[in-house]
Amino acid sequence: MDTSRRTLFGTLAAAGLVAIAAHAPAHAQTTYNVASLADFTGPYADVMKDLVGARWAVVNWWNEEVGKGLGVRINMKDYDHRYDAAQVSSLWPGIKSELKPIAIMGVGGPDVAALQQRLPDDKIPMFMSTASYGFAWLPNPWIFNPRPTYAHESAAFFEWYRKEKNVSGPLKVAIISSEASPAYVDIHKGANKFAADNKDKVEIVETVYTEVQPSDLTTQVNRVVRKGAQVILIQTNTAAVVATKRALQAIGRKDVPVVMSSHNGLPASGKAIGGIAQLEGDYEVYGMAISTDQQTDSRKFYEMLRAKHKLNVGWTVMTVMGLNQALVTVRTVEAAVKDVGAAKVDGPAMRAALLKSPIPSNATFGILPDVSYTNEAPFPLKGLTVNVGTVKGGQYVIAAQGVPVPVVNKW
Amino acid sequence: MDPSGVFATRYERDQALVRTDRQRVALALFAVFLVCVPWLLGPRLVATASVMLITAVVVVGLQINTGHAGQVNLGQAAFMGVGAYTTGVMATHAGLPFWITIPAGGAAAAVFGFVFGLSAVRIKGFYLALTTIAAQLLFHFLVLNLPSRWLGGSNGLTLEPATFLGHRIADEASIYWLCLAFAAVMVFGAYGITRSRHGRAFVAVRDDDVASGMMGIDVVRTKATAFLIGAFYAGIGGGLWAYYVRFVAVDQFTLLNSIWFIAMIIVGGMGSVTGALIGVFAIKVVQETITSLGPSVVATFPFLSGDIVFATMNVFLGGIIAAFLLFEPRGLMHRWNILKRSYRLWPFPY
Repeated sequence: MDTSRRTLFGTLAAAGLVAIAAHAPAHAQTTYNVASLADFTGPYADVMKDLVGARWAVVNWWNEEVGKGLGVRINMKDYDHRYDAAQVSSLWPGIKSELKPIAIMGVGGPDVAALQQRLPDDKIPMFMSTASYGFAWLPNPWIFNPRPTYAHESAAFFEWYRKEKNVSGPLKVAIISSEASPAYVDIHKGANKFAADNKDKVEIVETVYTEVQPSDLTTQVNRVVRKGAQVILIQTNTAAVVATKRALQAIGRKDVPVVMSSHNGLPASGKAIGGIAQLEGDYEVYGMAISTDQQTDSRKFYEMLRAKHKLNVGWTVMTVMGLNQALVTVRTVEAAVKDVGAAKVDGPAMRAALLKSPIPSNATFGILPDVSYTNEAPFPLKGLTVNVGTVKGGQYVIAAQGVPVPVVNKW
Repeated sequence: MDPSGVFATRYERDQALVRTDRQRVALALFAVFLVCVPWLLGPRLVATASVMLITAVVVVGLQINTGHAGQVNLGQAAFMGVGAYTTGVMATHAGLPFWITIPAGGAAAAVFGFVFGLSAVRIKGFYLALTTIAAQLLFHFLVLNLPSRWLGGSNGLTLEPATFLGHRIADEASIYWLCLAFAAVMVFGAYGITRSRHGRAFVAVRDDDVASGMMGIDVVRTKATAFLIGAFYAGIGGGLWAYYVRFVAVDQFTLLNSIWFIAMIIVGGMGSVTGALIGVFAIKVVQETITSLGPSVVATFPFLSGDIVFATMNVFLGGIIAAFLLFEPRGLMHRWNILKRSYRLWPFPY
């Protein structure tokens, strides 16, 4: 090889290296995996489509709009846990070794039961979408809920309702619950604890225990109404709401509203009872956006996802739940990238970033209020607010937004 | 049926579980394979194997109770729960090691099961099934309503990992070996029980309790013993479950679990310990396959709507159980025996 040819090859090779080096930062993108647990073949399979669809839309949106700029891409993979703790237990080691996720998105109790003791060892945080429970209210969490406990949410409603209706003295509340599930027991215990600590504000006239799917509650509802109940709290399921409403209709009482949560809220219970108009004047309360037709920021975000990011599910409570946990996850990735750099994000960095960086409401497009986690609880303890939905003139509307959550002591 | 040329000259040999050298070699190889599973398979499959072993202990107990002794039992999950809670309480409150807490869980479940076994003395069939459902409800009610400082109430119980000679049994391989050790002892014990005079009494009572009473078998004691043994197995399984998940809550032990256990002995074959093991393996493999395939099918064929795919999978799983009840109520073990017999008799048809 003569000198000129050697020089030519050397120049070309050098130019190639320079070109690669110059383009490298623009194309370098670190991919992080997130495990998406869902119930595809279990008891809640019928509503999972909305939840998982919302997760995917947020991840797609974030990868295109935010992740590119940060040099990070999120790769999400769905896993079917059949809403069964045994299934989660057997799935998890495989997910951990094959996917090496930096975070998990969970659905409910079985995920928490199966993983709460393992995640501190595995050092991978899990983000939920539901309200939390008293039994999960422990320090140093690795599982995080965007909403406080169901008791916090109902306590906020009680205070709001008292002011709204100018109730003097304690608000008389009846609770329709069940002992079928520890979660239901936890919910009514929390509400009872709040009432016991705030006797001037709330009085629980009776906690009625029914079967998990009650068909007739006329006797029980008649009894609590005669005891002076001004509100009936039901945070169990739609069957209990339907039976209670039928009982109220049977005894001719329209002045005692039923208060529900997200999973058994107005749209779901309305569908079960044969029309949302039958729930006129009833309420639902929870710490995330309410999926009415009103043009809120969260609704606009949803519309944008539909238009640009292949979201093909309805604007439902489950969609909002999927959006809330996915948004917390991606915002935490952003915070972790800011803290440790795009190439060094892992489970502990995600958890540290979540505890360090509050997520303002506008970062979740109003899906959630401002959320700020501490090491003391798996849910935000301060600055919490809830939204209240109702049926007015046959329409599903927002009754109040940003209702502050009072202090609820542990039970 | 033994292979040609193999016959017993003594009673012990007639009762032997392993009857030929080939069987001995096969069993040894299988045992080596089981021990080596954590090195041969990925973590997901090791975890699945651990769940299978725990379930196998519970289902073998149910096989003794229902398959051998004929006592319908829809409360096996509750007995498992009693074992899990007892193990949990002894581990968390008293700080006892697993080799005490797990057998203690079995003993507590046995006592609980024995109480319900006494009701089997007077009733049978459909009525007994209802009584065992009552065990399920009573367990649920007790856990949620006793003072929460006893059993944790709705909060459940959280356990620290078991330790053995200073080693923390928290990783998948260690948990698997713990489950394997207990499952091996329990399965070996089950074969022993079924070959013993108690086992023969169980079968006699199952086939005709009046006739077996006339022949001198203590029917009352036999029925109660069947429940006691079945529940003991469930309690051991519950104890292993407690250390596996490290969190015990009442909704982990539901009537649906009990029904799945029954389905496993139906698919495997009633009245056979090996059948119970095969049933657990078959049902768990189908469940795991469905769980793994569902999301992949939807990802590969997006035009198939997710809800259709997953609904189909569930129907398929239910269909398998229904098909066994209709076409092979004696389970896979019966099919295997037919196959083995044909092979040994070949080329003769009978």
